[in-house]
Amino acid sequence: MRLRTTGQRPEPTEGPPTDVDPTAMGLLMEESQDLHHDAMVTTRGALDDMVGAGLEARGATGTAGVDPDESRLVAESRSRTLRGAAFGGGLLAAAGIGGALAAVASSPAFASSSTDVQILQTAASIEVLAVAAYKTALTLPFIGGSGANPVITTFATMTMQQHQQHEQAFNAAITQLGGKAQTDPDPALLKVVQAATPGLTTPTAVVALALELEEGAAETYVADVAALSDANAVKVTASIMGVEAQHASVLLAVQALLAANAPQLITLAPGNVANLPAAAGSVGFPNAFYPTANARPASEGALS
Amino acid sequence: MKRRNRTTDTMAISEHELLAMTDDLDQLHRDVGMPAMNRAVEEWTDRLRLSRRGFLIGAGAVGAGALLAACSSGSSGSSTTTTSSGGTTSTSGALTGDLAVAALAASLENLAVAAYQDGLAAATAGKLGTVPPAVATFATTAKSQHAQHAAAWNSAITAAGHPAVTVTDPVLTPVVDQMFAKVTDVAGLATLALTLENTAAQTYQAAISEVTANSSVKVAASIQPVEMQHAAILYFVTGQYPVPNAFNPTNLARPGSDYSG
Repeated sequence: MRLRTTGQRPEPTEGPPTDVDPTAMGLLMEESQDLHHDAMVTTRGALDDMVGAGLEARGATGTAGVDPDESRLVAESRSRTLRGAAFGGGLLAAAGIGGALAAVASSPAFASSSTDVQILQTAASIEVLAVAAYKTALTLPFIGGSGANPVITTFATMTMQQHQQHEQAFNAAITQLGGKAQTDPDPALLKVVQAATPGLTTPTAVVALALELEEGAAETYVADVAALSDANAVKVTASIMGVEAQHASVLLAVQALLAANAPQLITLAPGNVANLPAAAGSVGFPNAFYPTANARPASEGALS
Repeated sequence: MKRRNRTTDTMAISEHELLAMTDDLDQLHRDVGMPAMNRAVEEWTDRLRLSRRGFLIGAGAVGAGALLAACSSGSSGSSTTTTSSGGTTSTSGALTGDLAVAALAASLENLAVAAYQDGLAAATAGKLGTVPPAVATFATTAKSQHAQHAAAWNSAITAAGHPAVTVTDPVLTPVVDQMFAKVTDVAGLATLALTLENTAAQTYQAAISEVTANSSVKVAASIQPVEMQHAAILYFVTGQYPVPNAFNPTNLARPGSDYSG
């Protein structure tokens, strides 16, 4: 490879034609289109803002300066970002939007630090719930039992531990801001998990629930980094959001292999990659831009 | 029709179902996603051109979105003009502030595209031995997403009247060249790709704390997790634990000095 311009790139090599069932394709296309649309809406909005700013720069005369009340404006701007968060489909959407987000985030009485504390408390509550969910899953014989797939068992154990660390980090950020640590689970999501628990009779059902939780967490934190004003809170959240996305990525791959009746391919054994179906190489990252449609409301897990 | 054994049938179904789950996504990215975003950006740009005066007045009245950027100092000897994006343009024409971050990001994305492209070319030429189909699919899809990321970053740069960044990261490219020259198999290629993915993810993660405009934060935040997902799958296919860190570090983040325009 050499330093070069992208214009010098040759055309990509086309792969062999794929035999795909048109009915199944149609259903999946619809589902994927929804997902992709959600992701694109978020990124397009941010890009639009950047483009607009770029246009402004093009015509700038040097008279623009720093707003004297910059911090407050940033907080207000980010609160608007929060209010703009929407909900998509899936189990988490069933928890309902309520009106709590707007009620909290729109209030001018809330200083930026208070808003940050609420956001972080909600994040901590999501982590508390995730820990509890994986802990429960590990009591199931097909997840944590001796006959379970060892990679799935390891993943559930490691992921539970990572969520515990995330909870501690969020709570440390909260106390640093003078807030009260949140050690209870997100109340809305708890109901969802409790309702789903009786149906957790197969690995597929557990993976589906875990995927919903991970994607919900990741999307919430992606939205949060644009809503938080405290620098440390932003750093902590930014260091966690991609980890949840990785959890989701693994679960997507596992889900696909389970659905394809190929659980034996869920292994980290050397050389396993040679046995994986071609599509397994990309099933774990369906969006070029991470969506925020399923981000949780900022105040959902906040302490009153 | 030849009768197949059970194992073959199972794998055929696996392949079939998995392809159905992913090929459509790839098509969407090519046929719906990126063109739709480009159209929306173009339309929005045109609208702003027509109503620039009204937009600026409105932005000033609203206050929060505009003018919140810190006035970052430009390179020595150059005065700068602050914009609502936090991006600045120095009198020398060099990009500073958020636009400089966007330029660095675009050059990193270009490098990733080039690396995957060269990897695919080497695989096609038989230089990497047997290439598992999942690896080829991964490289093709990741390359496509990196191209979309580059386009996203460049859309802000070109809207500011600057040419799109079409070169690869000038500092990293020779390093990657050296690494690529030593790649003789798929494992080596995956290791190289993993380095690039982690570098991009960590650069954007660091950028989130560096850029000043909310829109810049959103763009970086929407891309960083995707690069980390690429890394997770690379860990998996190379037999490593796919989520090695509870907190993603930033020690691999590239400095703005990598790309000076």
